[in-house]
Amino acid sequence: MAETFGRGAMTNHWIDIRNADCIMVIGSNAAENHPISFKWVTKAMERGAKLISVDPRFTRTSSKADIYAPMRSGCDIAFIGGMINYILNDMENNPGSYNMEYVTQYTNAAFIVNSEFKFTDGLFGEVKDGKYTAAAKNTWKYADTKTPATDPTLKDPNCVFQLLKKHFSRYDADTVCNITGTPKDVYIEVCQTYAATGQKGKAGTIMYAMGTTQHTYGTQNIRGYAILQLLLANMGVAGGGINALRGTSNVQGSTDMCLLEHILPGYLNVPVEGDTDLDTYIKRTGKHVDATITPQGLAGDKSSNWWGNSKKYVVSLLKAWYGDAATRDNDFCFHYLPKSARATVNYTHIGMFEAMGEGKIKGLWSWGQNPAVGGPNSNGEREALGNLDWLVVADIWMTETAEFWKRPGINPTGINTEVFVLPAACSYEKEGSISNSGRWAQWRYKAVEPPGEAKPDLEIMNLVMMKLKELYEADSAAPGREAITDLVWDYGEINADMVAREVNGYDLTTGKLVYLFTKLKDDGTTTSGNWLYCNQYTEEQGNKLKRRDPIDNTSKQIGLYSKWSWCWPYNRRIIYNRASVDLNGNPWDEEHAVTYWMGEAWAPQGDLSDDKGGDVLDGGWPAINYAKEGEKYLPFIMNPEGVARIWGYGRAEGPVPEVYEPWESPLDRNLMSGTQTNPCAFIGKYRNERGIPDQYPYVGTTYRCTEHWQTGIMTRNLPWLVELMPEMYVEMDEELAAEKGIKAGDKVIVSGARGEVRAVAVVTKRFQPLQVGGKTIHHIGVLNHWGYSGMAKGDSGNILTPHVGDANTTIPEYKTFLCNVRRA
Amino acid sequence: MEQEVERYKWIKMEQEVERYRKPTRILHWFNGGAFIILFFTGLILFIPSLGFLAVDSWTRILHRIGAVIIVAGPLIYLLTNWKASWKGLKEAFVWGKDDLEWLKAAPRYYFLCDEEAMPPQEHMNTGQKLWWLMVIVMGVVIGVSGLIMWVFKTTAPAALLQWSIFAHDVAFIALGAMFFVHVFLSVIHPLMRPLRTGAWSSMARGKVSAEYAKAHHRKWYDRVSKGMKESPSADE
Amino acid sequence: MAKAILYDAIKCTACRACQVACKGWNQLPAEETTNRGTYENPPDLSFQTWLKIKFTEVKRNGKMDWLFTRQACMHCTDASCVKVCPTGALYYHELGFVAYDKDLCSGCGYCADFCPFNVPRSDSNLWTGVAKMDKCVFCTTPGLDRIAEGYEPACVKTCPTGALTFGDRDELVVVGGERVQALQANGHPNAYFYGDKELGGLHVMYVLGDSPDVYGLPVDPKVPAAAIAWKDVIQPIGWAVGGLALLGLGINYIIAREAKLRRELPGRKEE
Repeated sequence: MAETFGRGAMTNHWIDIRNADCIMVIGSNAAENHPISFKWVTKAMERGAKLISVDPRFTRTSSKADIYAPMRSGCDIAFIGGMINYILNDMENNPGSYNMEYVTQYTNAAFIVNSEFKFTDGLFGEVKDGKYTAAAKNTWKYADTKTPATDPTLKDPNCVFQLLKKHFSRYDADTVCNITGTPKDVYIEVCQTYAATGQKGKAGTIMYAMGTTQHTYGTQNIRGYAILQLLLANMGVAGGGINALRGTSNVQGSTDMCLLEHILPGYLNVPVEGDTDLDTYIKRTGKHVDATITPQGLAGDKSSNWWGNSKKYVVSLLKAWYGDAATRDNDFCFHYLPKSARATVNYTHIGMFEAMGEGKIKGLWSWGQNPAVGGPNSNGEREALGNLDWLVVADIWMTETAEFWKRPGINPTGINTEVFVLPAACSYEKEGSISNSGRWAQWRYKAVEPPGEAKPDLEIMNLVMMKLKELYEADSAAPGREAITDLVWDYGEINADMVAREVNGYDLTTGKLVYLFTKLKDDGTTTSGNWLYCNQYTEEQGNKLKRRDPIDNTSKQIGLYSKWSWCWPYNRRIIYNRASVDLNGNPWDEEHAVTYWMGEAWAPQGDLSDDKGGDVLDGGWPAINYAKEGEKYLPFIMNPEGVARIWGYGRAEGPVPEVYEPWESPLDRNLMSGTQTNPCAFIGKYRNERGIPDQYPYVGTTYRCTEHWQTGIMTRNLPWLVELMPEMYVEMDEELAAEKGIKAGDKVIVSGARGEVRAVAVVTKRFQPLQVGGKTIHHIGVLNHWGYSGMAKGDSGNILTPHVGDANTTIPEYKTFLCNVRRA
Repeated sequence: MEQEVERYKWIKMEQEVERYRKPTRILHWFNGGAFIILFFTGLILFIPSLGFLAVDSWTRILHRIGAVIIVAGPLIYLLTNWKASWKGLKEAFVWGKDDLEWLKAAPRYYFLCDEEAMPPQEHMNTGQKLWWLMVIVMGVVIGVSGLIMWVFKTTAPAALLQWSIFAHDVAFIALGAMFFVHVFLSVIHPLMRPLRTGAWSSMARGKVSAEYAKAHHRKWYDRVSKGMKESPSADE
Repeated sequence: MAKAILYDAIKCTACRACQVACKGWNQLPAEETTNRGTYENPPDLSFQTWLKIKFTEVKRNGKMDWLFTRQACMHCTDASCVKVCPTGALYYHELGFVAYDKDLCSGCGYCADFCPFNVPRSDSNLWTGVAKMDKCVFCTTPGLDRIAEGYEPACVKTCPTGALTFGDRDELVVVGGERVQALQANGHPNAYFYGDKELGGLHVMYVLGDSPDVYGLPVDPKVPAAAIAWKDVIQPIGWAVGGLALLGLGINYIIAREAKLRRELPGRKEE
């Protein structure tokens, strides 16, 4: 989504789902794994909205859906590509059924692309060593990269729209259904139903989760949804958007605060080798003022290129961290930041475990993380842990990771890892905030004291950092010690409130909290621990995360609840909402207006009014037709070109999605092209045997159930939940079960190239064999909640998953692999 | 009244007739005792205001103890007294014209104490036969339904359990009402006196006076006393 | 003002938060279970499991469906269990549903025998016969009485999708009826409103997507004939028979004694 819109995050929010006219749940089982979200889906359906469930398995979500479309695991691009093809053709025939103004003016559909662009047999150019060459990637860009020409009639053969048409012309319904196994009549019904949201006044939303992202082409899966939503003008409007359902309850918070290897807090880029100074770094990231791209020939003529402000945010961040030590003379201590070698080294989870397997990593801190069960290729990862000199596990229970050295079948004397366990407090035992998928951040309170020696993570971090500082102060010869000794760390007895204020930031000249990131400067006079969260804590209102005022103050009751908690950025609940209005500022959908231009100003924004208001504008400039020449700001403010990218030229494997087979596929060839798998996918080498269909004929996929949580280390220790789902199980269709002589409740063994798991068989009608490429495909659904620790034990589903990941994010391909099954 | 007290003074007769053997008497009293336990523990479920006595299942335990006794008793007796059992069962199930005569005479006999009105009776008079038959039939009903309710509580189909409770209740009422009559006619009714030599004695000591036997069960008395001389009685 | 719960099987996603909430609020221990090849667990209601969700996979005209329904006390207005309870442990709450005083339970199990929905379950000792019944009590256990404090039952509170609602029965009857009509017009031609009139009206009513038997529910549940025969017919007859017997015996004694005396003392009449 960052590619398409400039930032990756759920674009709307949970409650907004109730405003949709059609909800497509794909790569997600929201009813089971995001049960609260279903309150809003239910309300939407009460209003007459249609629910579509696309899933290899008929889930509890599917049982609520108007249309259930079975789809072979890993075929999202084919499925969505076919929908795109359907819509593009329908647009030609019935343009009145679509919002062509939106498509032309708010996306890069009209932009002219480099004439050298070529797509051949599954590839977008030359690939070398698992990467497209720089020359190839250049051909994906606009013909004019600074002031791109556009054709608002969308007829130029080199415009994005026509290139899109050409690309997806191969995705006719028959071809698509042959790949996905979806019955054609159902598929057409999905296309028709969802395409109907393209009308002005109608909104469709896509709810997706790990089923979409956990593939070697996961990023492209999402790009497919993005293209779909832009063609249907569903972005920025109430009831629309792409709603990424985050996999855990505060992972949004953790990624906002940069707990990923490629970002700094607020989704700034991490500096790399070659970023010799601050300005070089800023230029290299493309997040600088000169990166503005100004499209020619659209009504809007100015791109705000909001990322161009990134220097202010980086400097404010460095000032927050290094305080007085950071001055203009020393580049604000920019050189203290570690420079990533990510061009050549893969620092992601899989990359880290590959390195661990090769003995390159000495120590690991596993903080609230249980990779021994949650990581792919469990046997390999557990073995890799044995290569560590030391391991620290901070968690609320004894996890499989903490106990990896005494797991079943292993002789502990052969493992030299020293393991430290730091008991941590759980969420009710400490105060702080969490951020939900909708970017809303809420303050949470302490209800009980943590047991025994358990401490809140914040306290643990504080103790560690203070000790580190002490050690580095004392050792004058330690290399790079200033990065620690110059660090401002004056919390004393730390509490979350102090940190919240620091994250918001201060104006150093007045000593007061900064109001908003627009006030952050690059001259060292402001601090902010995370520019996105700037405005969460203000002098006037205090800690806004504590607000719980349930007033829906919008003029059309679309449920923004702007005074309930606070969201980033600037309490804007629906991002890209400038696209919810036409060039005159009138809402496309009157009934669910997010905002409206009142001739001189926008409707009262956010929590500034008690009624008849709208959302906080994504940039408060006037509506395009009311603005002065040269100041007609385009709606997608985070992109350098100001419009949303249907054509995403910044991705690793191509500007538009293309069908590839997963790394382990039941087919020996890609039915769409001659390129079998994603050429840029990350393929691990450590203990990563690859399975072939002859040995492992069935498509395995891992997923969760409502009753358990992630690696199960919390839920498998709670008797009431264990009562509901007591044992590790797999699901399979009745035909496959009959073939293998398996009855419901039998113990079975599911095997793959990398290991075997024992489980109970749930034989069900909810999986059906699919006809794909002339073959009958069976799925085996594998739960991933069990492990050898805790009260209720069982084999881990991830023993079967491969050590391969997405080309852009290296998120593991948990969702599609090959396996076999037999009675135990 | 002096005369009345004298009238009812115990009279020892030299001759007594055995009416019930020891095994029979043992069975009677065990089962009688068990019946009383069963009856009253059941009665508190019948009378709502007494229901609280059943709380915490105590009375059900007592009921089950009584049930075991009342079922085991006859079974043991049957196995160890086969001939007597057979004879006894026949008494319950053989009916004839004589029984109709008893029915016609019963109101005068029992209400007006008109002993002449009653034709000679066998070892068991018709009334006793009626009670005995009821004990057997209702006993089986109440026993089988009780067994279903106890052992097959969780396995029997609901309808079977429900109608078992119904049958149990019907049998309870029948047996209960007749039980009052049985006790009354055994020890309270004026014609069954004196206790020492009359109906009570027949089951308590197994014997009755020859006078009583002659008066109440003439036909039987004549059969068992064939060829025996009668000793003078204080009555004559 | 009678209260009720309305359960909407179409909105229910079978997340089973209600099952856990019931256990949590009523402090019921978890049972040891195994996976029998289904999501359903525990396998049956018990004295420790007062509420469970049932899963039924059906295929109709090639279309897959997965039906969910809750299984717990239906809180009948004409409750068979109240009718047959000998100790009065089961009685009608002033708000219309079936309340329960566990201290008064004698463990007889009649409630379990007569419930048309097979809900009450006993914790019974095989050897001693000591038993106590347990079932959903609409969250009115003394000391844990949510209703008395003005709260909704725990299951209703927890339900994330709003499949469970609590309120005045009259209002919920209207809501349920309208919802069923809307469903019938929109993809669920056999939608059924269960509990409006059955057994005098249930205080836990269901909006079903299909006819009740598809969900395993009795279509026209009635108070069992045996209960009526027993309590409404035989019971009064029993009192009459017993009373008449005692009365008859009393009269008989008075008359017979007098008659016997007269026979023995011919001059008695003159005294």
